[in-house]
Amino acid sequence: MAVCFFAAFVCSFAWQMLPVWKHEGSGYVTGGTWFYRTKQFGCLPMIYGTMAVAGVALVLAAPLGLGAALFTAEYLPRRTRVGVKVLIEILAGIPSVIYGLLGVLLVREWVYRVFASLDILSGDTLFTGGILLAVMILPTIVTLGDDALRAVPGSQRRAARALGLTKAETILLISLPQSIRGLLSALLLALGRAFGETIATFLVVGRQDNHQPENWFSLRPLLEAGETLTTKLGGSETNIAYGGSQLHWAAIVGLGFVLLVMVGTITAIGIWQGKAQHA
Amino acid sequence: MRRALDRTLFLASASCGVLACAVLVGFLAIIFSRGHSALTWSFFTDEMRQAGTGGGIVYNLVGTAILVGTAVVICAPFAIAIALLERVYLHNSTLRRILIGGIYTLNGVPTILFGIFGLIVFVKFFGWGKSWLTGGILLAALILPTVSVALIERIKSMPRKYLDAAAGLGLNESQIIWSVILPQSWGGLLTGLLLGLARAAGETAPIMFTATIFAGVSLPHGIHDSPVLSLPYHIFTLTQDSFDPSQDARLWGAAIVLLMLVLLLSLIALPSRLRIHEEAND
Repeated sequence: MAVCFFAAFVCSFAWQMLPVWKHEGSGYVTGGTWFYRTKQFGCLPMIYGTMAVAGVALVLAAPLGLGAALFTAEYLPRRTRVGVKVLIEILAGIPSVIYGLLGVLLVREWVYRVFASLDILSGDTLFTGGILLAVMILPTIVTLGDDALRAVPGSQRRAARALGLTKAETILLISLPQSIRGLLSALLLALGRAFGETIATFLVVGRQDNHQPENWFSLRPLLEAGETLTTKLGGSETNIAYGGSQLHWAAIVGLGFVLLVMVGTITAIGIWQGKAQHA
Repeated sequence: MRRALDRTLFLASASCGVLACAVLVGFLAIIFSRGHSALTWSFFTDEMRQAGTGGGIVYNLVGTAILVGTAVVICAPFAIAIALLERVYLHNSTLRRILIGGIYTLNGVPTILFGIFGLIVFVKFFGWGKSWLTGGILLAALILPTVSVALIERIKSMPRKYLDAAAGLGLNESQIIWSVILPQSWGGLLTGLLLGLARAAGETAPIMFTATIFAGVSLPHGIHDSPVLSLPYHIFTLTQDSFDPSQDARLWGAAIVLLMLVLLLSLIALPSRLRIHEEAND
């Protein structure tokens, strides 16, 4: 049933988006301009936006999250650890619209003030979206990272300690190398979540169409408003397209498909890595 | 040197842990300090007025209740079916892996795509327009993985000898399911449904195109073209459109209500979740 539903899911997307692939060909993914009135559909700027936002989130959240996972898994006594973990998992359940609200109030202002010297237009930037996503994926990283570390048998730790290694050496030489795949998997799954997050990003990312950096590796474009795949889908253009031409609608559905492929790939690699740890 | 390293690592990871918790708890504290002034009795019993700047949120609450209630009712039988398939009926391990893989994949699908899917299938293809039922079905699909995994875990943790005893008494498969497996595992179903409820109540993306509007309706009157108001979409729209969200106590009040709803549901499910954690540690 679940499998059937998923198949129906993918098929309906594939079926609805056919026209735009006929219209644009592979330029749909590599094209840099999106003007629906002139029937130009290229989603590269949005793919860039999605990657940028999720990348910022991961860079910010990964050290913090893994550090916290190390703390809960290696230092905390068992009961406290379960308590902290449950708390963190509950926090993972906070609706994204509430994170968005906080983002609008706090993070946006903060970004605007901090980077005022760089002459930015507003606090609605890709970077703002990234900060917000970092907070949102933090629980995922902590709880999955903790699981990965705990999967290393306690006997290994005791053996290392008996050989005279300090706690830190045990962690760095024994626990981390053995759980590295699991930790990687935690990061990838968190990244998948960041790719797919809509509402919170939507409220702070600025939603500026066709924002594409001149230099792909410079950080400056992160401080400008941008658009991600999800915020495009969540925006009013979906309603316009729904009532509009078939081609435009197909282009919107196509965005969904591109997103699905991106998230699917990341998640699949993540799960595969996680399994490999136990094999 | 070694001792210094030992200390440093402890301090570094401890500060990460404390900071992570502090960020999250700090967020909660801000919401409460901003919005508690809006929480009066009439806030819960009045309709919305002046596009959210006046009145209360009663129909938003009702709408959210309708959506998540529908989702739970639709989701429960499917979750039971999936759990039974996984634990009882499928003997072939490849098929079982496909099923579990499908469930996890479904869990990873971005929620906005459920919205687009609903728009394609229910709104467009079935011609329902915006409808609470579409929202219920989409949310049900969204929480299906959570609920069925909770149920599967519970059935897995059931002592093997119960099944052996039942089989020894000559019960056939369906009798075992009705008289042993289901009665023993309803707690898992309940936990899963509560967690699912908590998740469904807060989702905005799947319902914003398919089931909910900002203002102008009270109760649904049918299936075709009968959207409801909802709490998350209310917050979303106000956040997006209001000139200065920080000054709007009603917006923060609505956020508190949604947050309390979600946290309460998670807390009720907490004891059985703790037990799962404890078992996982042994």
